[in-house]
Amino acid sequence: MQEYFRNIWQGLSTVLTGMKITFKHLFVPAVTIQYPDVKVPLPERVRNRLYVNMDDCIGCDQCARVCPVNCITIETVKSVPGEDLGKTSNGKKKALWVTQFEIDIAKCCYCQLCVFPCPTECIYMTDVYEFSELERENLNFNFVTLSKEEILQKKENYAKLEAEKAAQKAAAAKPAVANPEQKPTDN
Amino acid sequence: MNLYDFIFYFFAALTIVSAFFVVTTKNIIYAAFNLLLTFFGVAGIYVLLGADFLAIVQLIIYVGGILILMLFGVMLTNKITNVQIKTEASFVIPASIGVGLFAGVLIAILLKTEWRNSPADIPISTLVPIGKLLMEEWAFVFILLGVLLLIALIGAASIARKE
Amino acid sequence: MIFEFFADLLGSQILSAIIIAALPLVFIILYVLLANWLERKVSAHMQDRLGPMRVGWHGWLQPIADMIKILQKEDIVAKDADRKLFSAAPVLVFVGCYAAFAAIPFSSAFVGADLELGLLYILAVSSIVVAGILMAGWASNNKYALIGAVRSAAQIISYEIPTVFIILCIIIVSGTLNLTTLSEQQSGTFLNWYILGGDVEGWKKFALIPFMFIGFIVMYISSVAESNRTPFDLPEAESELVAGYHTEYSGMKFAMYLFAEYANMFVVSALVVAMFLGGYQSPFGYVGDLINVPWLIPIEQFFWFTVKGLFFVFVQMWLRWTLPRLRVDQLMALCWKYLIPIAFVNLLIISFLMIL
Repeated sequence: MQEYFRNIWQGLSTVLTGMKITFKHLFVPAVTIQYPDVKVPLPERVRNRLYVNMDDCIGCDQCARVCPVNCITIETVKSVPGEDLGKTSNGKKKALWVTQFEIDIAKCCYCQLCVFPCPTECIYMTDVYEFSELERENLNFNFVTLSKEEILQKKENYAKLEAEKAAQKAAAAKPAVANPEQKPTDN
Repeated sequence: MNLYDFIFYFFAALTIVSAFFVVTTKNIIYAAFNLLLTFFGVAGIYVLLGADFLAIVQLIIYVGGILILMLFGVMLTNKITNVQIKTEASFVIPASIGVGLFAGVLIAILLKTEWRNSPADIPISTLVPIGKLLMEEWAFVFILLGVLLLIALIGAASIARKE
Repeated sequence: MIFEFFADLLGSQILSAIIIAALPLVFIILYVLLANWLERKVSAHMQDRLGPMRVGWHGWLQPIADMIKILQKEDIVAKDADRKLFSAAPVLVFVGCYAAFAAIPFSSAFVGADLELGLLYILAVSSIVVAGILMAGWASNNKYALIGAVRSAAQIISYEIPTVFIILCIIIVSGTLNLTTLSEQQSGTFLNWYILGGDVEGWKKFALIPFMFIGFIVMYISSVAESNRTPFDLPEAESELVAGYHTEYSGMKFAMYLFAEYANMFVVSALVVAMFLGGYQSPFGYVGDLINVPWLIPIEQFFWFTVKGLFFVFVQMWLRWTLPRLRVDQLMALCWKYLIPIAFVNLLIISFLMIL
């Protein structure tokens, strides 16, 4: 009998306690945020989408070689003498035309290994994390600043140079028999 | 034909048609849900007769109690997920004799009774007169019925016990 | 009163009757939209979330957007479902809830039908809801739906008993089953509400207060159980039965269940308000009396009734987000071992007090 009334009392009092707690929470500010309008501040060293500052890139291919998942594809063309490619921001002289610089971010594992070898610190991870796409191809980001015509022209230029050099070589090949010590000069 | 008649014939038709389906349908669940309509139609007719208390009691006891209990019983005892609970007409001859006799008695009563034919007036609640009758004039019978129901209840509980 | 007003205005009793019958429907739709929004916001804020925020100010248009969405949904009927009963069940459930609104006294001027048996009438039509739920469960031809329906029926039938006992207490004290009369008896200030002993004279009033309070709590618990709300939501327990008896429903038929559930919440709250908390009466008196504008009083009464009703709807939501679901045996133990004996003893004590 005593237990019966204790049960009733416990039932009622625990319900009221619970109701008190939930009522307090009615006025607690929400811990969730309105996501696209308000965003959670990101930590300082977040690793998100890769970005390449092409002005600084010298086309050294080190990032592509270090990438564990091979998501970076670089293709370069040597410049012909007389062309001025400018300098990078830390004073390195550029010598290669970058004709292809693609990062397939769908493959990227965000390991940041590509960032460290870069001599000019032109590849780095940004805090952009909203880049979902409907087509997988759209995740293949292209960073090349040259237009298609320019790329073609650069390639042609280099091919021409090579051809010229080959011609010179061929021309020099005959005297080389007479003078084997002479080495062909590059560029 | 005024509105009152229209409503009366509506409820009467509802009662008769659904009662017909209750008897003829072979699916017990259909029969039970048609019975719901029958009870509802009867309740409507009670309301039209000015017997509001009876109508409400009809709904509470028959729809809320007995019908639900029946459905419960059907649903708990049979394989209901596929419609297999079907009833067949059996014992046609004894049943028709019994029904014929009962119908004869009903018709005889119907013809012999002197029906009071008064114009329909605004119905007054029958709640207070019924309560007075039950508690004053028929108090003994009322209590006796209560005791009877209590005995039935105790009996049911003692049968349902495991030991 | 409102019936005569429309009958005079339109010159046709049938037309005015139709209008009177349609007014609760308008109320239900507006109330369901509000309650739906309230439920989301209350649940969200009790869990330290924000809830809908996009559609309109704090998402207040969200229910309307959902309504438009649900109207466009495909009406799916499962292949092995019983088509006829499947389509009839949501109508039956909604009719049961809607019919209860006929007897609810929104204000002294706006009562659908001023029934002498209002309290019993609401109990009677709510039994149609049970039949509709059983029909839905069986017609869906789905084990979850069936289990949900049978649970629901067992639950509603069991919890009707304490409800009836408490209604009997009120009948003994007030001597009427008419909800309007019940409200009129509690006029004046909140001291005349039946939860505070009503208009009974002398020491009996004070003796009645604790028992009225017990009656109120028992009535409220069983009415929450009758509207299948958490913590008594076993019939639609989403974690075990998908959605209970309306698992197979979609589109407008599902919306009818939604409407019926919210309407039922208001009906049980209105019943509690009419019985214990003064019905449509204001707790302090009327502004219309103060500034001598008689037509303002019914509007105020409507306001007070809606506010009280919505408060108890809010308490149901509050309970929902506070308590976990009961087990079946706990549910039945609560009803048969606790509520019914308490209600019965309460009834005996109150009738003894009233005889003295």
